[in-house]
Amino acid sequence: MSAAAAPVPQPPPAYEDQERVRRELEQTWAQPPGLWHWLRSVDHKSIAKRYIVTAFIFFVLAGLEAATMRAQLARPENTVLGPDAYNQFFTMHGLTMMFLFAVPIMEAMGLYFVPLMIGARNVAFPRLNAYGYWVYLCGGIFLYLMFFMNTGPDVGWFGYVPLSGPEFSPGKRADVYAQAITFTEIASLVGSVELIVTIFKNRAPGMTLNRMPLFVWAMLVQAFMILFAMPWVATATQFLAMDRLMATHFFNPAEGGDALLWQHLFWFFGHPEVYIIFIPALGFVSSIIGTFTRRPVFGYPVMVLSMIATGFLGFGLWVHHMFATGLPQLGESFFTGASMMIAIPSGIQIFCWIATIWSGRPRFTVPFLFVLGFVVLFIIGGFTGVMIASVPFDQQVHDSYFIVAHFHYVLIGGAVFPLFGAFYYWFPKVTGRMLSERLGRWNFWLFFIGMNVTFFPMHQLGFEGMPRRVYTYLPETGWGDLNLLATIGAVTIATSMLIFVINVVRSYRVGLPAGDDPWGGETLEWATTSPPPHYNFEYPPVVESRSPLWDTTGEMPVVTGLRTDVRDTLVTTLLDAEPDSKHRHPNPSIWPLLSAIATTILFVTLIFTPWGAVIGTPLFLLALLGWGWPRGRDKREQQLVESEA
Amino acid sequence: MRGTRAVADVRHLPRTVFGNRSLMWWGTMGYIMIEGTTLFICAVTYFYLSRNFATWPPQHIYRPGLVIPTIQVGVMLLSIIPMRWVDRATRRMDLATVRTGLLICSALILAMCVLRFYEFRALQVRWDTSAYGSAAWAVVFSHTTLLVLEAAETLTITALIFGDQVEERDLSGVSDNALYWYFLTGVWVPLYIAVFLSPYFM
Amino acid sequence: MLSLLQQSHSVLNPSSPQTRLIDRLWDAMYFVSAVVFVLVVLALLLSVFRRRDSEAAETDPGQERSLTTAVSIATALTVLILFGFLVYDVAVGRQLTRGLGKDALQVRVIGHQWWWELQYRDSVAQNWFTTANELHIPVGRPVALELLSTDVIHSFWPPTVSQKRDLIPGKDNSLWLQADTPGVYRGQCAEYCGQQHAKMAFLVIAQRPDSFASWLAAQRDTALTPTTQPAIRGQEVFLASSCVMCHAIAGTPAGSRIGPDLTHLASRRTIAAGTLPNTRGNLAGWIVNPQSIKPGTRMPPNQLKPADLQALLAYLETLK
Repeated sequence: MSAAAAPVPQPPPAYEDQERVRRELEQTWAQPPGLWHWLRSVDHKSIAKRYIVTAFIFFVLAGLEAATMRAQLARPENTVLGPDAYNQFFTMHGLTMMFLFAVPIMEAMGLYFVPLMIGARNVAFPRLNAYGYWVYLCGGIFLYLMFFMNTGPDVGWFGYVPLSGPEFSPGKRADVYAQAITFTEIASLVGSVELIVTIFKNRAPGMTLNRMPLFVWAMLVQAFMILFAMPWVATATQFLAMDRLMATHFFNPAEGGDALLWQHLFWFFGHPEVYIIFIPALGFVSSIIGTFTRRPVFGYPVMVLSMIATGFLGFGLWVHHMFATGLPQLGESFFTGASMMIAIPSGIQIFCWIATIWSGRPRFTVPFLFVLGFVVLFIIGGFTGVMIASVPFDQQVHDSYFIVAHFHYVLIGGAVFPLFGAFYYWFPKVTGRMLSERLGRWNFWLFFIGMNVTFFPMHQLGFEGMPRRVYTYLPETGWGDLNLLATIGAVTIATSMLIFVINVVRSYRVGLPAGDDPWGGETLEWATTSPPPHYNFEYPPVVESRSPLWDTTGEMPVVTGLRTDVRDTLVTTLLDAEPDSKHRHPNPSIWPLLSAIATTILFVTLIFTPWGAVIGTPLFLLALLGWGWPRGRDKREQQLVESEA
Repeated sequence: MRGTRAVADVRHLPRTVFGNRSLMWWGTMGYIMIEGTTLFICAVTYFYLSRNFATWPPQHIYRPGLVIPTIQVGVMLLSIIPMRWVDRATRRMDLATVRTGLLICSALILAMCVLRFYEFRALQVRWDTSAYGSAAWAVVFSHTTLLVLEAAETLTITALIFGDQVEERDLSGVSDNALYWYFLTGVWVPLYIAVFLSPYFM
Repeated sequence: MLSLLQQSHSVLNPSSPQTRLIDRLWDAMYFVSAVVFVLVVLALLLSVFRRRDSEAAETDPGQERSLTTAVSIATALTVLILFGFLVYDVAVGRQLTRGLGKDALQVRVIGHQWWWELQYRDSVAQNWFTTANELHIPVGRPVALELLSTDVIHSFWPPTVSQKRDLIPGKDNSLWLQADTPGVYRGQCAEYCGQQHAKMAFLVIAQRPDSFASWLAAQRDTALTPTTQPAIRGQEVFLASSCVMCHAIAGTPAGSRIGPDLTHLASRRTIAAGTLPNTRGNLAGWIVNPQSIKPGTRMPPNQLKPADLQALLAYLETLK
């Protein structure tokens, strides 16, 4: 232990009083029942659970949209959806999956488990965390309300100008697109700052960077990617909104604006976005493989470096989404090289996992099955990814169904399969009950088969000339059979999802009790109860190795000396995680919600009139003032702790 | 839950720390990175769009005026001195100096806001005149939103620090605000060069 | 349209030098990927199902070392394969962008929501003409396409004869293509361009040089003056109705360029950008209620008396 801590470890004060300590912590960190308290909650676990449940609901909605589209495409010249509806459906599907499901749920997994894995009591800025969730929720509700009022965006999740510009998208649909993205950007940026600061400053004593679980590394890399990628799309959509509402000319070729500028800005975000979704999944996979082979993942330093390399390279590939726009060939070759290079760190990680399984003792649980499915599907998506990094080949299949197949293999195979594995793996920790393994196997196999039946034929459809985003096709194109097959696959996936939902609902009520550590896990979240108490750990744990629960047998080493009558947390140093200062976390507050509502008023009114800024900005500033102004319990407690010295 | 054994005690650790030891410092840093990226994007857009024009600014548009913007840059750079003074005083818990310094800084940032109004006029182009106007406005406008927020923040902090129950933690907050102040004023220098000076060279 | 049924319009059924190069590139990448895929999945299965000693040491240093070697070799092979792909890919890219011969046919392609305008240029301005949705080219001769858009972004993609290229407003793009064998090749807009993106197809019709020459000569002519009674009446209907607001017929006062040029409408195989075979019945349905066939299309419905409609159809059918 560090020199900063007391030289002579004292026994915890009144160790026999553990009951009293627990009672006081319960009281200090309590979240009493009732709607009012629920709205005020700043517990990272409550917030993250809401995030996960909300994101899953959006996942189901986007899935239903996809199913409707598959019904429309099941045969040529079908009439389930007209072009106007279909275009809103595919736009909503993309927007929802990317902005309301994938990024938020990945961040939410981090917001739930990172503090537990690093032995912290909460995230670094609990109120900001709540604000992020409320903004996200408001944005999602706003988008779907507009969709139900037939004002859903119909310009694609990529919103290319000039189609989304003032001339070709009159009405409010494209404004809804731009503003909905702004909401989710704010939420994800907030989440990324939370994760970075929490990981940097709230790690358990002794958890040096070198001992951080791979999952935490994955969330750290993802958070940094969000920090540098999201502002691009946020700025681009602001430019678009201004072009539409204030007659600026960023994207108007007639006045010196540039249609390709949008594509550069969008894809400079859009490509890293894929890795923002995928990198947390690498963290899930490493956690699951470690636990179910009962050995630490092979090649820890290489795994960490690969994730960091992926994070950097992810920013160098955006132009490969623009190979058909006729850019100079030399530049294109550079992006081909970069796009192929990113396969190397991914390959290395797969090899390391195989090596881990090889030398470990695999246990065939459902989470492990999902990981095996991930490897198979992700390799397929990875290979087609390397292929479309080739400019000539991409100029054939670009914007065809081949691409639809490719990125669903990458995103479903690469991110959703690990996510489901993670659901099965961590459900016991979150709820205290196990999910049914039997239903889980049905879930897995139907998903795996359905996924391949849906998306594998799409490679061929792309070759046969079927472009993306078409609401129908003519019988003589000959695309009917494979499309029907894909629709059958979609039904299979839907069935597997239904089984999952049944499994969750049933297990939540009558599942087997899990105990603290049902799988024999390696990392700190398994050291506390299931579900964890509001304060996570009675005493901050001390970490002595990368696998604290495996290497430290017997009693857990902990530090003492944090107050139990205020929400005290420990702040440690960045590199070595030595105890450095104590920090009092804020108490529950309604202001994050009020601030989010003010933000929503500002954004939504802005769509209809520039005066929205005049109405919304003062409201927002007022809410911030209310948030920051010290008063009540917070003020009393602050005086209490300041008088310590 | 497993049994525990205490290996260290942290009750003597400080509660108020400054600089990169404090959580808020890192939060501010994250915010700076986000806003820095946004301003960078605006500048990139400005130069990207310039490729679509034979001259920059386009024909029939005046180059921006330089007097007010140059005064503004000067004020911003000078304002770092009193803010630095405040920043140092927070670490000594020197409340009197912090109060005086913050008053000066509040006056300065209000002056910046006024100057900013005239800077928009100095652009001598409307945002809807051409892509040039849009790009120039984007850079200045983005920075202005940050400037206004920082003005609100600084005035609030100043009000707080003149209250009767100033806590150590508030002083740490002043120090984190100083960090943001350096960013806000410093980042304006390249943006000023881009929007106001570069039209004279391009 | 019958010929459409007889032919596969697949990337894997190339009919031009460029698409053949890309097809070969695909074959190579596919083969290598398939082999690697099988190997990796085998390794995965083996790692899961291999027999294990019941009481082996948790981590055996010897085993860790050999795993390190295995991972390193696999990584090195990955790098090598990727490098091979890169070199092959750049080589193909260079061949595709190589300059074309002097005798290239120049055609300007203009994307519209939701149809294709084709302008055939010539050194003699008199010979210029405009057609729609049907790109006729001579086999064996390179064609230089100039790709423009006046509204939103479209993308030109006939998979069997050429890779795709976007048509971007404010940016002049170009593409060259060449077909080896005569045939009708289908293509479709590949960039989402609004409500009727799905029904924005076109045909590339590759002809032997002599039949191409006669097609060219015919297209350069102005429209025939109608001689039969219904056709004469039909021309009157055309010129008196809202048709002339958007359409042009060379040799008549109708000269608007908003919609497709109809000078040789009857020579085309399809109407509404590859949506319907060009038959009298389809044409009638299209004129009367285009929104039922292609909802959102810019063409408005036309209320014509039955007799007028029949006359108009008779006239349009003379526009060979």
